[in-house]
Amino acid sequence: MSHINTVALAIVIGSFLIVTYIGFASARWRPAEDPMHLNEWGLGGRGFGTFVSWFLLGGDIYTAYTFIAVPALVYASGAAGFYALSYTIMVFPIVFIFGPRLWSVARARGYVSPGDFVRGRHGSQGLGLAVAATGILATMPYIALQLVGIEAVLTTMGIGSPSGSSFIRDLPLIIAFAVVAVYTYLAGLRAPALIAFVKDFLIYVTVIVAIIYIPSRLGGWGHIFSVSSAHLKTVNPATGKPYGSIVVMPAGEWAFATLALGSALALFVYPHAVTGVFAAKRRNVIRRNAAMLPAYSLVLGLIALFGYMARATPAVNAGVKAGGGNPQLSVPLLFEHMFPSWFAGIGYSAIIIGALVPAAVMSIAAANLFTRTIYKELISPNATPAQETRVARLASLLMKVGALGFAIELNKTFSINLQLLGGIWILQTFPAVVIGLYTRWFHRIALIIGWAVGMAYGSVEAYRTSGGGQAHFGASTTTVLGHVTYIALVALILNIAVSAVLTLVFRRIGLQDGYDETRPADYAADPATVPTASARARPPAVPSAR
Amino acid sequence: MAKHALSGKSPATWGVVTVLLVIAIFGTLWVPIYARFAPKLGPFPFFYWYQLIWVPVSAVLCWICYLLLRSKPRNQGAVPR
Repeated sequence: MSHINTVALAIVIGSFLIVTYIGFASARWRPAEDPMHLNEWGLGGRGFGTFVSWFLLGGDIYTAYTFIAVPALVYASGAAGFYALSYTIMVFPIVFIFGPRLWSVARARGYVSPGDFVRGRHGSQGLGLAVAATGILATMPYIALQLVGIEAVLTTMGIGSPSGSSFIRDLPLIIAFAVVAVYTYLAGLRAPALIAFVKDFLIYVTVIVAIIYIPSRLGGWGHIFSVSSAHLKTVNPATGKPYGSIVVMPAGEWAFATLALGSALALFVYPHAVTGVFAAKRRNVIRRNAAMLPAYSLVLGLIALFGYMARATPAVNAGVKAGGGNPQLSVPLLFEHMFPSWFAGIGYSAIIIGALVPAAVMSIAAANLFTRTIYKELISPNATPAQETRVARLASLLMKVGALGFAIELNKTFSINLQLLGGIWILQTFPAVVIGLYTRWFHRIALIIGWAVGMAYGSVEAYRTSGGGQAHFGASTTTVLGHVTYIALVALILNIAVSAVLTLVFRRIGLQDGYDETRPADYAADPATVPTASARARPPAVPSAR
Repeated sequence: MAKHALSGKSPATWGVVTVLLVIAIFGTLWVPIYARFAPKLGPFPFFYWYQLIWVPVSAVLCWICYLLLRSKPRNQGAVPR
């Protein structure tokens, strides 16, 4: 770790330059008649077919942090880490169910963000604002975590060793992020959509080679499993319990299932996933992709197995120990010790570029939320599409600067804690967004209060958990009625229950509900052309409801 | 429901789609099905190969649902009905 691996570094810099070129060139890809419209900058012209959407969505939701964190979890605690595979298997049937309706209504009404939809559907500026704020708040640490993924790779390559000055250490990260920020500013969603091709190609190549080559060097899968199993059985001196198990134990099943389900539901309402869905050209693109995106889940499952390969490699165990016991280093170290330098460089590039794509989409998604739900609603209701686009571009820059600040100034644990909270928070927008696709039974104010209760409960409960050497935010689960359960899911149930009860109360006292600007036909619509201004121009019957 | 009328698909089709998607989700949501060592596939405990095989299974189920619900692209806009 002390010397710089020049061959690997050269390959990483080379692929970064290629991607940078593509990023800038993408501004001229499928040029639009009117580039200064949020449909263009923020959603790539809403014209991505099945093929491009597959790369964009895959590149967007399988983030670099996933590729570092999931095997790290498997490395540290075994089978429990495989909830991530279960979750990515479940998420596509869920996308299949909800995705087309959300796409249709967004297309028919010209919505560019989930906050937009919620405001229009429930006729509530406040609820739209709550959804937008939650989305932005949950996305920021997620972007920061992409940087944590890059840092793990840079550390392994010998760049930014902790002894150097902090500015020099962070310089590569700052440069990389500044470059991404500039081409995202110029090209919008087109940039990550094109770069996703490179990212996914590198990821697939790395994973296929690793899954065939590494086990043969380590004495086969039988050996890998037996070494891992033996380690997981040993007792962790910190907790007095075994580190984990090679198969989920009955006591851990409930936590495993609720983590998987909660994460799958949460992923669907994350702004960056919604942005990927909205950018599709036709309704059927969503369904076709629900059937084709699992190819990435297979890759994720294989990457999760890297955790065991790392455990069976003594040099990795030594390296993790030398790095302060940080399991996040296990995959980069595995590449370093198992691959020749040049191929390790390919693997590192896959992770670094794999971080840039989601970071770009996330910042665009957050910018869309800010522009439509906060800027246009509260600050400048008469903003033209061109003004909206300018604001969104600036907002995407600010999101990136904010995330960079997060990653550099605050310690890494803090980003991870916030990301844990982010998952809990974002799931609290599920009733307004997803249940709202099907019914307007819930009262808008009941939904706001339910959201607030879910947010508060989830945050407090997450704060109270300890584990992994932390007094707070140590785990994502809590014990409810004797079952260890994912906090986000408990908070969601509380959220829905409060919303339901208050809806009954508000109906009883005759509190006025909001105006729904959508029509039933919107939810099955499949317009070939993008309806722009006309769909939104219809004046609502109750102007005050906006 | 309005959904059936709008999509032009029969309630039976929607029923089949619902069942297939529920199977796809419950296949990994119901952890006791696969939280076991045996039967092993080569060196892989059941827990691992079941989940890895469930990936293409869920993809195929989604694809069947897509074929069932596929409709000719209509150029309908936001105009109600």
